[in-house]
Amino acid sequence: MCGLAHIFESQGFSTVLVGFVKEHIEIIKPPRALWLNFPMGRPLGKPNNQEFQKKVIRTAFDLLEKISGPVLDDFSEIIPVREGRMSYALPVSLVYKVNQLGNIDKLAERVQRELSNLLPDYFKALQYLGRTTVGASELEISDFVPYISEFAKGNKPKSPRKGLPAIPLLKLVVEDLNAVYTETRIYKDKIDDFEMLGKWFWEETHAGKLLLAVEAVSLESDDQVLRQIASMSLLTPRFWSEGPLPGISGSGWT
Amino acid sequence: MVLVRDMPAVGRGFIERLEPPDIKNFYWTKPSPKNIRKVAVISTAAVSKRGDRPFSWLARDHRVIGKNDRDLVMTHVAVEYDRTAWQLDLNTILPLDRLNEMAKDNEIGSVAEKHYTFMGAADPRDMEKSALEVSSEMKKEAVDTVFLVPV
Repeated sequence: MCGLAHIFESQGFSTVLVGFVKEHIEIIKPPRALWLNFPMGRPLGKPNNQEFQKKVIRTAFDLLEKISGPVLDDFSEIIPVREGRMSYALPVSLVYKVNQLGNIDKLAERVQRELSNLLPDYFKALQYLGRTTVGASELEISDFVPYISEFAKGNKPKSPRKGLPAIPLLKLVVEDLNAVYTETRIYKDKIDDFEMLGKWFWEETHAGKLLLAVEAVSLESDDQVLRQIASMSLLTPRFWSEGPLPGISGSGWT
Repeated sequence: MVLVRDMPAVGRGFIERLEPPDIKNFYWTKPSPKNIRKVAVISTAAVSKRGDRPFSWLARDHRVIGKNDRDLVMTHVAVEYDRTAWQLDLNTILPLDRLNEMAKDNEIGSVAEKHYTFMGAADPRDMEKSALEVSSEMKKEAVDTVFLVPV
């Protein structure tokens, strides 16, 4: 983001950025930057809080009044996080081996039942909010679990989506499934708590267990891409873990 | 975001190993007066209109979001940031409604018709070609101020 600021400024635009990684802003020195001590994924701070969001914008835009730069200011308010992590992270100990997974077909049936039970509230949420973030995969919701389950059984199904290979599609289906659950819960329980939502989805639902099964199978897969996205925590949320990540040497990351 | 030294080990290790771009020249464009300022948002959240081509994992390209587009999906490669906030309110990552309100209240001049998204995990050096294309588009509609928003 800081690099982009330099490119756009060089093209005759006045740029101002809000940013999360203060150390990078200090090194790359974009013309005008406001550092946010917020969790990642929330650059405007607080959902559905118009005044807070405008305060972030106004404070950033005040930097446009400076006559020289680079300038880096801190936003005055902090949104605290738990133990320095920017989002939910799975417990280090919660890693399955393939031989612990049990019957995937039965697990998939439990996920389908669980999902079916959520769907009435999901559709109410959709009606209430007027939008959904579900749909990046372009699969029908009813196809999510069958598609994911094939990977949990060690298969690599043919991608039903033209132009998008099976593994990139898997990642989008995983995120779509997660979004159905969290959007439903957000609507139903009127909550804004990513730590609680993460713990619920990944540690307490059958869907979370199915995805951890996919992770376990992927880590032992002969398919290099599948192994890589699992070990880089691109399927499951382990980035803010104390690590090491499962399936790789900790030295690569920690 | 907390300082890197205060992060858990995995994220800290990753971020510490990122190689920042080497910026050769520093540019400073004098801002327009606020009452005539035309603002475009550049987001690295890899959101796009439903039906657009998904971002690839090392995407160097961009997508265009119209001023009134709200039916968006996200295809960012990373899962290390909270995605529930934008489920609750799109403005948490792409503040188009807030900017429209500020334009209406004369806090800024106007909001651009087009806004642009990139996939933030890519190296900014690899995004230069696409950023120059975006610059050309923004010049066509007389944008003078760019608000860069990460995810």
